[in-house]
Amino acid sequence: MTIQKLATGIAAFDHISDGGLPLGRTTLLAGSPGCGKTLFGSQFLAMGIQHFDQAGVFVTFEEQVEDIRLNLRSLGWDIDQWEKDGKWVFLDASPKDGDAPVTVGTYDLSAFQVRLERAVTKCNAQRVVLDSMGNVFAQYPEMNSFRRELFQVTQTLGRLRATSLITTERSEEYGRVSRSGVEEFLTDNVIILRNVLYDEKRRRTIEILKFRGSKHEKGENLYTIVPERGIVIIPLSAMDLRYRSSGVRVTSGVAKLDEMCGGGFYRDSIVLVSGSIGAGKTLLVASFLNGVRERKERALLLAFEESREQIFRNAAGWGYDFAGLEADGSLKVECLYPEVSSLEDHYLHIQRLVEEFKPDRIALDSLSALSRTSTDKAFREFVIGLTSFLKHQQITCLLTVTTTLLSGGTSDTEGNISPLTDTIILLRYVEMSGDMQRSLSVLKMRGSKHDSSIRGFTIDDKGLNLGAPFTGVSGILTGIAPVHKL
Amino acid sequence: MAKPILQLFVNGNSPTSVEAIGMLNGICKEDLKGTYELEIIDIQLDPDRAEEAGIMAIPTLIRKWPLPETRLIGALSVKTRVLTGLGLVMSYT
Repeated sequence: MTIQKLATGIAAFDHISDGGLPLGRTTLLAGSPGCGKTLFGSQFLAMGIQHFDQAGVFVTFEEQVEDIRLNLRSLGWDIDQWEKDGKWVFLDASPKDGDAPVTVGTYDLSAFQVRLERAVTKCNAQRVVLDSMGNVFAQYPEMNSFRRELFQVTQTLGRLRATSLITTERSEEYGRVSRSGVEEFLTDNVIILRNVLYDEKRRRTIEILKFRGSKHEKGENLYTIVPERGIVIIPLSAMDLRYRSSGVRVTSGVAKLDEMCGGGFYRDSIVLVSGSIGAGKTLLVASFLNGVRERKERALLLAFEESREQIFRNAAGWGYDFAGLEADGSLKVECLYPEVSSLEDHYLHIQRLVEEFKPDRIALDSLSALSRTSTDKAFREFVIGLTSFLKHQQITCLLTVTTTLLSGGTSDTEGNISPLTDTIILLRYVEMSGDMQRSLSVLKMRGSKHDSSIRGFTIDDKGLNLGAPFTGVSGILTGIAPVHKL
Repeated sequence: MAKPILQLFVNGNSPTSVEAIGMLNGICKEDLKGTYELEIIDIQLDPDRAEEAGIMAIPTLIRKWPLPETRLIGALSVKTRVLTGLGLVMSYT
């Protein structure tokens, strides 16, 4: 028997959970303070109302109802209307001002159970959030039968066929699921939100620890909190590799380079251009962007190193009229400082740009600049996420990386991501007979024959002029090429 | 002193509810000597009242009057503590 799922409507969560939360069951959402548990819960209800017309009950044990309303409004959710329509019902179980009740003798929380049932039946709620369960324990310290009470709650919710989320606090990021250690035994489904400080960078991740009897993605996925959108999950390692592979070729913008690649780049390929400073990477980017003229397509440039003015001036120097392209709506140039936001936010920003502008090709200059802002792992995940997103959209993507050495050598960035690319082009300086020469070679061209020779090239006001292959020399990639006397 | 107004929330015939009702009846009879108002509310029959009053635990005893409102939770097992909790201890002078 497969367990049915309830689509939550939270971006990408339904993807990593293979359909959403287990229908009619309780899921535990555990996380340390500040990781967004309350937001996740609120969003679960809000999405239910917005996209599926499903009513929800929000039980708060901690935050005051008025504070939650304020937060919801700031996210652009019309909580007042929802409450009026009976789509959103608060069950206020938060501690109130004044003295805590005096305890004389044993008690249970049956009044809470009754109220919960009343609220759920009254609005016919399909979604319930309890935020946060750990706090009940703190409010009613003498209650030794916490486990039984919780069991009651999950039973009641199960009987009412409500899909529910119970949040709970964690004191450490990697360790016991919840502080009391009780909750996780009561639900078959556990999700963990983490907010880890690693290498001086905050990393927020979501992990589905268990969904009993049902499929889901394993491991952590990055997420970020975006104003007006709430939690957005970036399903980096969760992307499937079933792209429609395209046999269509597109031009690189340089006719001779197309020849070397066996007729141009594949339309859905990721091209990596590696070279040191001044080796001609930005020129290749400009040629690539200019290549949209051929079919009246659209190109998007994300520049992380140069300003608009610089880019346009340089392009003009190579004979490319970027201002004209932009006026035609064929080109969009977006200049960003890598440091202004985290990689997750960059990813979402790029995704949004792509959705709005719908480019046929996209260039990132340079990826190395972006890699400065994050850890290796996060950067790799970013590239995986971005490249698979672009492949799905059938967008040709050109990435540049900067090598640290003037000649020869590879960059850290490159080693990290080269397996993810389809085509690699090396731009290198070669010292030959006391002269610095530029060279270009196609190192890898997935799925096609290519010219493996190393060619010299020059740059002038017509752009890039590929010359003849170097013959009779070796050691070009190390940067020093002794001429062999034949 | 003012005539106290009390509310006791119970859950049907649960053991703690029965115990609390018994204890409270005893206190009313012996210590308050009939000068009180007591309402017993069964949350099974009247869940709306539980919601309005924001009741979590059963049994819950509320002293509505005199102000400030005071709440006690539990089966009211210890009489002296109930009286202290309600602030209804008679002076011994």
